[in-house]
Amino acid sequence: MSLPPDLKARVLASVGSVPAPTRAETMRARAWLFGCGIVGALIVFFLEGGLRITARPPSLVALTSLGSAIIVGIGIWLLVTRGGSMLGRPRAVLVSAAVLAAAGFVAWKYAISSFYGLTASWPERPGFRCLGLSVAFGALPLAGALLSWRRAAPLTPLATGAAFGAGAGLGSVVLVDLWCPVAYLPHLLLGHVLPIGLLAGLGAILGSRLLRIRRG
Amino acid sequence: LAKKEEPAAGDAGRAVTTTDADRAMARYAGGDAKAFEIVYDVVAPRLAGYLRKRVREATRIEDLIQQTFMQMHSARGSFIPGAAVLPWAYAIARHLSIDSGRKARREIPYDLSDDGDAGSPQGRPLVSSAPSGEDMVQARETGKHLAAAMATLSAEQRAALDLRTQDLSGAKIAFVLGTTSVGVRLRIHRALMTLRRALTERRAPSASIAPANENPK
Repeated sequence: MSLPPDLKARVLASVGSVPAPTRAETMRARAWLFGCGIVGALIVFFLEGGLRITARPPSLVALTSLGSAIIVGIGIWLLVTRGGSMLGRPRAVLVSAAVLAAAGFVAWKYAISSFYGLTASWPERPGFRCLGLSVAFGALPLAGALLSWRRAAPLTPLATGAAFGAGAGLGSVVLVDLWCPVAYLPHLLLGHVLPIGLLAGLGAILGSRLLRIRRG
Repeated sequence: LAKKEEPAAGDAGRAVTTTDADRAMARYAGGDAKAFEIVYDVVAPRLAGYLRKRVREATRIEDLIQQTFMQMHSARGSFIPGAAVLPWAYAIARHLSIDSGRKARREIPYDLSDDGDAGSPQGRPLVSSAPSGEDMVQARETGKHLAAAMATLSAEQRAALDLRTQDLSGAKIAFVLGTTSVGVRLRIHRALMTLRRALTERRAPSASIAPANENPK
């Protein structure tokens, strides 16, 4: 089948009739929206009391936060960048990045806290407050990421949204870790790890609606 | 993997390649409206060749090509400079054709019956353009056997084989089809084994009859 000669003219005319932001405009909008999301999360963090050392030695706080930031940073980088390809990273890589970063954070926090003898059971702190805070910290950057990518993911809107959600959840882990002194394993799983899954699910649902490009 | 240079005829007569299209798409993402014509010249014939194997109606193919370019245009702000535009376009076209097929419910499994091949991605015919009469008969017979054998493949195997003939890498085919590179290799291997077996079985009866006729005892 040879293409009809007027198809090119029709395609160029239809493309010319619908404005689309250039790369520079898109990058500016993304930086602005995502930046607002991060600033919003920081405002919520400081309204909740900010850094809380409590009974923890400052070196423990520094070590857990630094280690968490590195582990989580690698996970976020894998989740929100596309590795130089318009096809993005394979789903297996995205899932592995989220799971390994979350597991790495728990292992790091638990191991360091064990070294300081601070992993004792703390039944009156099951982790619901941390769960709520983590979702609140992560929701604003997630909203910023989803709005900045609105109608710009023709291929995998659901997976992209889920990756953004997991990335936002991992980011909130670092903030909550600065705030929360508890290193009791069930608390870590409920209050610090579960929100990553919840935000990934929320990102998938919203992403499938917001990021998809509608047919003209 | 080294990128294969595939020339396509541009309006100005100069051959444009997939690398030209990648650069042109990057320029278009930067705001150079003229660059989209180069992207069209390279991508549109390949998309037509790809879609022709998935969709029956010519008007639907045109519509899908137009929709694919519209989506590329809408997402141009997200284009990564240096990224390959062709796998992206194939993946968008495939998504759109599946979506369109769900609505129309009229997809055909595979069609090798068309006599021309002007829309093939490489823009060259499957058989030589100047064959002898015997070659033509043989090629037609082989084509029929191949078409019959292709019809026995599963939809997943056919899709993997189609994309492999478009010179996409295993990883890119895996992404387009939503599977793994190992899965793609397995599908292509099984498809080729099935085709080989089917063609061998078609030749085998005549090969076994011939000696029997020569020596009836």
